[in-house]
Amino acid sequence: MNADDWLRTLTAELHQRRVAADAARHVVAEAATHLREGGGDPWVVFGPPQQYAGAVVESIGTAPGPRPGPVRLHAAGITKRYGRRTVLRDATLTVRAGQIAAVVGANGCGKSTFLRICAGLMSPDAGEVTVSGRLGYCPQSGGTADFLLADEHFVLVGAGQGVARGPARRAGRAAARQLGWEAGGDVQARHLSGGTRQKLNLTMSTLSAPDVLLLDEPYQGFDQGTYVNFWDQLSRLRDAGTAIIVVTHLLNQLDRVDIVLDLTPARETGWHAPGIQGGRP
Amino acid sequence: MNRLVTVAEMTLRELLRRRGVLLLLLLMPLTFYLIRRDAYLGQSVRSLLLGVGWAVSTAALFATTAARELEPRLRLAGYRPHHLYLGRMLGLWTVGLVISVPFFLLPMIDGADLRYGGLAAALLCSVAVAAPFGMLIGALLPRELEGTLLLLTVVTVQMLIDPAGSGAKLTPFWSSREIATWTVDNTDQGYLSRGLLHGFVVTALLAVGVAAVASVRLRRRRHLRHLPVG
Repeated sequence: MNADDWLRTLTAELHQRRVAADAARHVVAEAATHLREGGGDPWVVFGPPQQYAGAVVESIGTAPGPRPGPVRLHAAGITKRYGRRTVLRDATLTVRAGQIAAVVGANGCGKSTFLRICAGLMSPDAGEVTVSGRLGYCPQSGGTADFLLADEHFVLVGAGQGVARGPARRAGRAAARQLGWEAGGDVQARHLSGGTRQKLNLTMSTLSAPDVLLLDEPYQGFDQGTYVNFWDQLSRLRDAGTAIIVVTHLLNQLDRVDIVLDLTPARETGWHAPGIQGGRP
Repeated sequence: MNRLVTVAEMTLRELLRRRGVLLLLLLMPLTFYLIRRDAYLGQSVRSLLLGVGWAVSTAALFATTAARELEPRLRLAGYRPHHLYLGRMLGLWTVGLVISVPFFLLPMIDGADLRYGGLAAALLCSVAVAAPFGMLIGALLPRELEGTLLLLTVVTVQMLIDPAGSGAKLTPFWSSREIATWTVDNTDQGYLSRGLLHGFVVTALLAVGVAAVASVRLRRRRHLRHLPVG
């Protein structure tokens, strides 16, 4: 990671941690000046950008985040069985506008199943989901058409909302740019790398400006820069009032979310009572 | 209407980019025609029609299987089930009509003496039946291999069954065979009428079947309640 990448990551980190915009700009400008005049590797001079951002937050504090809005998604008592195996028991989650909820848990504990039930793509054996507003869903993989171009995906999704071709293409390209991807090329989806294909997948899910965005480990194949951009974009969407639920197994990102739903079953007692367990206050 | 046309257009674009599939789509009926060319003309024309039917069914099967993962998210993006299956059917019918043109011209170039209006009607019937037939199999069987094997079985039965027997009428492409008899053998008008009626009924039944499966698979689930943004 060179100095520019380091500064970019620091900017994203400060934004994620809700450092006031002016203060963040000031911190980044000071760091850039220091590096330019003094030289040296930013990792040696300042340490990892995440750690430096943490120190900045401790020193100057954060701007108060917007108050969460009305409830956008309420899932209550979700139970799902596959044959004799119960994968979800009485899972409950409430997410408001302007919040990010993380669904975590061990492999096979029902994270994707929970998300598919919230999206209405699968029926639970018990429980119900109330959604206020439009839903967007990004699957873990698949969900794109091999032989279509990125622009054609945008047109296809846009037509579902009655959006004309030109604006749909422009909106798709702009959303892709937020992930550091120029989507206007003449490349079919099947020829995209795994990470770029996931960017297309993610872009499609945000294209219809959903009020509730459901993301099933959408960062598969992302490089470090894209991963930072991804969380940066989630923060922007949250600040714009979108309720976001993201399935993740990367626990180091949990400080960036507002709510955590852990679906891991406890071996000794059978099950945890699933519910809100923490996250950023 | 825009959604329907968009889905049809994207189906068409996808199929046109599968050059290998397109080549095989054209090769299959041609082979069927040529392999019977030295024998009785009626057999080669019937084989040609069956080849077109099988080729379009296979394309429909693959298009339906490929769209399986995409359709639920398009549903969330604002499409209704009928936009998706009717749009796809429309795209497949268009592809079928396009590949039918050279096979309409083939016997003409070959100097075959037959009723060309009948050949056009038989090709239309083949394409009309084949698209929903392949889509229905694709909707019922999630894996391409299983679907292809079922298609192969149906076409083999269609090829080997006695066309005069009552069981033959239960096969999907009986209509084009009946019309082909009128086209080649100069039989009475009854063959044409029966064939057209059979083609129409089978197409309608298959389309209803596709609609039923798609409506169940892409239905709004009862556990999910939508409220307007408050």
